[in-house]
Amino acid sequence: MANEAEETVRKLTLHKGVAGVIIVNGEGIPIKTTLDNHTSVQYAGLMSSLVDKARSVVRDLDPTNELTFLRIRSKKTEVMVAPDKDFILIVVQNPTD
Amino acid sequence: MAPKKKEASSKSRPTLGEDELEWLRPRALLKPEDQEELDEADLDEDIARILTTTNPLWVAEEVAYHYGQGQFALKPRQAYGKAYPLYVFQGAAIRKDSDEAKAQVAAGYGAVTFDDAGPKRVKVKKSAAEEEEEEEPEQEPAAGEDAKVEEEAQAEEERQKEEEPGEQAPEQAPVREVKVEEEMGAGEGEAGEGGEEAETEEKPEEIEIMGEDEIIEIKPRVKKLANQFNFCERAALTYNYPKRSVETQTIPPPRATYGHTALQSVIFDFYQEDYAKKLKEKEEEKPKRLRKKAAKHVKTAQEVHDEQLAQRIREAWAILERLVNQNIYDDIAQDYRYWDDPSDEFREGQGSLLPLWRFQFEPMRHHAACDIQWNPHYQDLFAVAYGSLDFTNQLKEGCVCLYSIKNPAYPEYAVVTDSPVICLDVYKETPYLICVGLYDGNVCVYNSQLSLESSYQYKSDSVRDKHSNIVWEVRWGPRLIDGEASFFSISGDGRVVQWAVMPGELQATTIITLRSAVPPFPGPDGTMLTVNSCGSCFCFHPDKKDIFMVGTEDGMIHTCSLKYNRDYVNSTQGHHMPVYRIDYNHYNNNIYISCSGDWRVKIWEDGRSEPLFMFELGSPVGDVKWAPYSSTVFAACTADGKVFVYDLNVNKYRPICVQAVVSKKNKKLTRLDFNARLPIIVCGDTKGTCHVLKLSPNLRVMCKPPKKTKEILDQRTLQIMKLDKLLTLVRDPPFTPGVVDEKFEED
Repeated sequence: MANEAEETVRKLTLHKGVAGVIIVNGEGIPIKTTLDNHTSVQYAGLMSSLVDKARSVVRDLDPTNELTFLRIRSKKTEVMVAPDKDFILIVVQNPTD
Repeated sequence: MAPKKKEASSKSRPTLGEDELEWLRPRALLKPEDQEELDEADLDEDIARILTTTNPLWVAEEVAYHYGQGQFALKPRQAYGKAYPLYVFQGAAIRKDSDEAKAQVAAGYGAVTFDDAGPKRVKVKKSAAEEEEEEEPEQEPAAGEDAKVEEEAQAEEERQKEEEPGEQAPEQAPVREVKVEEEMGAGEGEAGEGGEEAETEEKPEEIEIMGEDEIIEIKPRVKKLANQFNFCERAALTYNYPKRSVETQTIPPPRATYGHTALQSVIFDFYQEDYAKKLKEKEEEKPKRLRKKAAKHVKTAQEVHDEQLAQRIREAWAILERLVNQNIYDDIAQDYRYWDDPSDEFREGQGSLLPLWRFQFEPMRHHAACDIQWNPHYQDLFAVAYGSLDFTNQLKEGCVCLYSIKNPAYPEYAVVTDSPVICLDVYKETPYLICVGLYDGNVCVYNSQLSLESSYQYKSDSVRDKHSNIVWEVRWGPRLIDGEASFFSISGDGRVVQWAVMPGELQATTIITLRSAVPPFPGPDGTMLTVNSCGSCFCFHPDKKDIFMVGTEDGMIHTCSLKYNRDYVNSTQGHHMPVYRIDYNHYNNNIYISCSGDWRVKIWEDGRSEPLFMFELGSPVGDVKWAPYSSTVFAACTADGKVFVYDLNVNKYRPICVQAVVSKKNKKLTRLDFNARLPIIVCGDTKGTCHVLKLSPNLRVMCKPPKKTKEILDQRTLQIMKLDKLLTLVRDPPFTPGVVDEKFEED
């Protein structure tokens, strides 16, 4: 599993335009990252709260529904977030590259 | 008053002459005869009245007649003399030396030194009436309440004063007083504050009482005479401890602030949890016997959780990767979806191929894509067999990869084999099962559902069963009678083998051994050696499951049947070089196409020894396939890196599209495959790259229903009609159908 994760992270970082990959655990602490520490912590903290909010929005509209994915498109980058109750995967990509 | 009355009465009788005159007469006062004559001076004398305490009428010795005795007797003298009794209380005490007391003692009450209680008892004995009288006063003090104590005390004091001079025994007085004092003391004690004082006062009294008690105790078995003084009353006061306040505090329980938002979803989750719990409880209620069976296969909660977590992570990664790819390959995806070559409109009968994605697996950069096949179930997925066609410089490893056009960067599934992979086939029933033929002659079955670590699921026995040459093609066949899946393989050793996928192993059955036209020649030791011809490809008839075509390296195309393992049904010298592919038309089962290393592509009809069409492509043709969407379109790829697309309906002699996909300097195209549903083809080259190309509109022209017919025909019928019409034009000699069938009947 660990090797698989390493491999996946490596694969993803090799993709064109991928600026960084961050794996955040259930407590909102980045446990694996390809970005620098400060940015990772910032991403982790902000995304955790955003994911919580987004999930509550989805769940409150329909309790049987579930948030599966979050895509934040900005002028410079696109942040893709795969939320789960035990982890959050964040990929930052510059699509214009 | 008296004179007035007289006057009134005289007035009322005026008629009486005598009486009328009577008033005139001087009045003569009637006087008692013994009245003392008093003179004027005496009469005038003032006599003062004096009130005295002494009763002047009191007779000291009053006598009255006693009828019982029949004589005058002295009235019982009132002891109180001149005093008036306010309250009479009959005492019960009698003097010791009185007759009554003596009588009581004689009667057996009390001892010689007995207390004052004796006489009362005696009295009781005397009469019941008296007893009641006597008891009444006794009960009063006994029943007396605390409130009355003071009054009684006063009353008793008075009584004492009264009785002292009288019959009351003087020695009783102190006892009484003690009692009174005791009561008062008790009262004071009750009042509260004088606790200690009362105590000190009480002490001597108690002693006194004790003294009395002692006396009583000395005379055992003597019936105590009832007496109001006989009881003893004691009062005791417990210590009044001084009040003190002691405070203590327990350790406060740990506190925590807890906050939560009760969202609708949270509530829903809890209900779900509760429901699951109830279901579980229900399950546990089942008899143990039933549960044990289930328990064998149950994993621990941790394992399940870990497994699920791993799966979720994998899915999340997959989605992320897709998203990243979507961003990167957005333009290609747009092209694939919307871009149709606009120049097609102006070029009648000419089309083009638009290169879309290119797939390359980095570790397989030096391998050739030896076989390519779209997945029959997932339209975006295709399998690639990585091997090597450079036979002088073979590579050690091979690879089976599954690519999705949604993820051009990495294969969805990749498993490295220990020998180059030459061919593969995806099972249509279960599209995750892939059988592969290896360079070393082995065949394997891979399950792409399993993780990458567990490589093949089945592999042929390297010693017993495997081919002794390269496996050139594998194809899944129909299920066996027992229900096992089976597949066929053809190899360079000239054998066609059917493999039954048994649990845990592959069971080989040789279907046919391809004989060669070369006659047996003597070996080094003199034995005659037969030479098998080398099979290079084969193809099953779409309808007749027994019939299959075999292409050989010497260019022969044999029609074989599963039922005959020695002889061919039909045999044709199709090509002069190895036949690389035979493919049946999707619309007409009698038409098949073949390609060869002799640069030619030929279209054949069953039972006809001459091809219907023949095309020369100027380079060894690696692969040729009929298009699934049209009966007249086929595509071929050549070693010089070109893809040829023909539409016989448009042009019977020239391709409608020739597109160079790879540079012919260092790359060759090996295989291609039409996607069953999408207008794309994929072709592989010798450098391990797979190219996905989009067919331009001219290459996928659909049939238009003829205007004459009113009935609506579906596309398939139209396609068949189109091909039939075409065939009638090219058939030179009259067609004799059913050659294959006739041959069967003869046998």
